[in-house]
Amino acid sequence: MPTNEPSANLPLADVLRAANGLVAAKLIEDWALGGALAAIYYVEPFTTYDADIFFIPADKGLTAGIPAIYAHLQAQGWQVEREHLLVRGFPVQFLAASGLTGEAVREAERIEFEGVPAKVFRAEHIVAIAASVGRQKDKARIEQLLQQADLDKTRLEKILQRHKLKLPTL
Amino acid sequence: MKLEMRQKLAREPFAEKIRKVGQLIRLAKTFPRRAAKSPPAAK
Repeated sequence: MPTNEPSANLPLADVLRAANGLVAAKLIEDWALGGALAAIYYVEPFTTYDADIFFIPADKGLTAGIPAIYAHLQAQGWQVEREHLLVRGFPVQFLAASGLTGEAVREAERIEFEGVPAKVFRAEHIVAIAASVGRQKDKARIEQLLQQADLDKTRLEKILQRHKLKLPTL
Repeated sequence: MKLEMRQKLAREPFAEKIRKVGQLIRLAKTFPRRAAKSPPAAK
């Protein structure tokens, strides 16, 4: 069980370990790191204030098993602050994946971070998800990934076509 | 920052980039952005 003392460093390994723990406890089927921290896997580091964990729910009901996930993590010392769970002072959001994000979880890249096995959204899925959301910061993320990540253009085209998406004008 | 430098940063190991994100968060907390000053009122 991790201590919940605020960390001077970003406690990403604790977050990933906890997500693996949710699979072991059969509370979720699968998961992957998404959002800004997934983008940072492919681009230059930038400031972000939370981690987004997308998961395939084991509970297919309306709540997607969120109450059980919260209870499990709170029992391990995590704290709740509005829509976030906090580990060592760092906010983490657990988001039920479906459609495009579900596909992004299933096809995510397997990595190891500080000895912890994990999955991270592929760059092409991050671009497609940003295109589907379409805020200004999503456009900036697309531009950043196009400039800095080694994108598989064919894979990106197929994802965009499958989900009827278009890249925004940058 | 030049694109070349940003691409070099992008190719760093993930653990190193996460360490830098931690530094950026600490800096942002130490030196929070100030709200833009409104222009002086016209007389």
